[in-house]
Amino acid sequence: MSATEVVFLLFAALAVGSALLAMTTSQLVHSALWLVVTLGAVAGCFVLMTAEFVAWVQVLVYVGSVVVLVIFALMLTRQQSTISAEVTGNRWTAAVLGLVAAVGLGATVVSGFHGERIEGRRIGTARSLGDALFNDWVLPFEILSGVLLAALVGAIVISRSGTER
Amino acid sequence: MTYGKGLLQGLKVTFKNLTRRSVTAHYPDVQPDLPPRSRGVIALQEENCTSCMLCARECPSWCITIDSHKETIPATTEGGRDRSQNVLDTFDIDYSLCMYCTICIEVCPFDALHWSPEFAYAEGDIVDLTHDMNRLREWMWTVPAPQALDPGAEPSKELAAYEAAAEDPE
Amino acid sequence: MPDVIDVILRCVLVLAVFMVLPLVIGQMEHKAMAHMQSRVGPMAAGGFHGWAQLVADGVKFVQKESITPVAADRRVFELAPAVALAPYLVALLAIPLGPFFGQGNLIGQDLDLGLFFVLAAMSVGVLGTLMGGLGSGNKYSYIGGMRVAAQLMSYELPMVLAAASVAMAAGTLSLVGIAQEWEPWWLITQLPGLIVFFIAGLAELQRPPFDAPLADAELVMGPLTEYGGMRFAMFLLAEYAGILVLSALTTVLFLGGWAGPFSDHIGWLWTLVKVMAVAFLVIWARVAYPRLREDQVNALAWKVLVPVALAQITLTTVLVVA
Repeated sequence: MSATEVVFLLFAALAVGSALLAMTTSQLVHSALWLVVTLGAVAGCFVLMTAEFVAWVQVLVYVGSVVVLVIFALMLTRQQSTISAEVTGNRWTAAVLGLVAAVGLGATVVSGFHGERIEGRRIGTARSLGDALFNDWVLPFEILSGVLLAALVGAIVISRSGTER
Repeated sequence: MTYGKGLLQGLKVTFKNLTRRSVTAHYPDVQPDLPPRSRGVIALQEENCTSCMLCARECPSWCITIDSHKETIPATTEGGRDRSQNVLDTFDIDYSLCMYCTICIEVCPFDALHWSPEFAYAEGDIVDLTHDMNRLREWMWTVPAPQALDPGAEPSKELAAYEAAAEDPE
Repeated sequence: MPDVIDVILRCVLVLAVFMVLPLVIGQMEHKAMAHMQSRVGPMAAGGFHGWAQLVADGVKFVQKESITPVAADRRVFELAPAVALAPYLVALLAIPLGPFFGQGNLIGQDLDLGLFFVLAAMSVGVLGTLMGGLGSGNKYSYIGGMRVAAQLMSYELPMVLAAASVAMAAGTLSLVGIAQEWEPWWLITQLPGLIVFFIAGLAELQRPPFDAPLADAELVMGPLTEYGGMRFAMFLLAEYAGILVLSALTTVLFLGGWAGPFSDHIGWLWTLVKVMAVAFLVIWARVAYPRLREDQVNALAWKVLVPVALAQITLTTVLVVA
């Protein structure tokens, strides 16, 4: 086991542990901050997999913007910082959906990259990512941007409909 | 484009200030240059005081305490009358009450009270802010000469009255 | 073995820069702001024109009691200053200072993706203020925290877009590479990007005139209200370190870094001079402009900066492709 693998395992354990804490802590703000730790640990994993670009963008976008957005939404909507441990009917549906998604994603990754090793190759540089994104995967990329555009238009429509009334 | 103009003006004004020398008085290092009429502390010319109590009565904050007794001066000439004179026992000014209004100095008919520009007499105990006769007398040494008249100004009224009296011996 | 010494030397140098330059900027702020307001600023500490004022402040802060309010979220409250300060130190590791007497480039670690590394670190740094706002258990801090969040969301985008424009023009994401590719005419073609980057950076650091989250007249001190002693000192140091990182990044991205006469030998000096000039501009803006209202802050980001940044990217694309 190389030093890189040890560090990778540490990061992975940190990611999983903080993700569990984010789910189980009783304070919404704490779970948002544990999410920061999770995302940071995942970024660390990306670095160890030589995917530095993904790692820094992960920190920049997810820690710098998405978590801030989550916290902002928390602050706007909920005044009390603790939530009572209420079990709604959605809880079990969510658990099932999460399990299915986890198994599906895990199976895809394992079947796609089973046994492959990174060693010595730099697969995650900005150049190789750009090549892959705009040569091999250009259609999914464009479809995704179409989805984002639709979401943007939807957000504008919803926010404007209130003012015209 | 009034928007951008204001922004530039803000930068210009602040930068101009940066290049100018500041006008700050560096007080503890450099003593201030005070004009002769500065209201720093009231000094007492004890010899001029006749204990007439005008100042104590006019003081709006009652911060002056005067106590005196009469003394008799024997007649200097044969068969002359003895003269009596008021001698000060106490003359205290409580600077914790004084509001520096100058009324006592204005009303003094014999120029016994004067302004001194000294201002550094803060005390740790409020009791020490009451200056007694001796301390007030000491301030006299710091009283500057009266402010010179402006060039070409008419002479003071007192001087004019004095000269008029000298010309016309009734 | 020389490698280890090299790494240690670089780390020590970065640490030294991190300890010294923010204080220099802080002192510059004290004096420049004072003179712009027709004052003289600190004069006593250290003897000559109060040069040791910030050191004296530091000594004072160390002696103060560290108080954690009862209503505070203890761990979040106590961790926030460190979260605010540490990322700027990390960011400095990747910012090049330039050639040092022909001995190669002075930099902590030359990263292929230095630009994104530094931007990512800066975006983590501002989480500290947010944590302070959330964890203080004080309504002023809370409102300040909300403003921090709104401001961050608005200004992250134009800042990254403006930086991306330079990266596109240079064809690299390495900060050393960008500074080497820099050409004087970028001063004109990248000018909108420069302005957007600088303004967005000011807003990201919550420097006046974008200090609506702190707004001492209405929110006491926003997220920093409950802090005192060493923790407050760390926030203060983080503010100056943030100015340093922003100035250094602006210099390297838009002003050519060490470009200048004899840059092979005194390139590092050119970088320092430019960094200090940009830092002076940060201070100047604080003195010259009143605080923006909360709605103005967000309107400026979305209605002015984002469109300008997008236009800049389009322009750069046209120039690069053409």
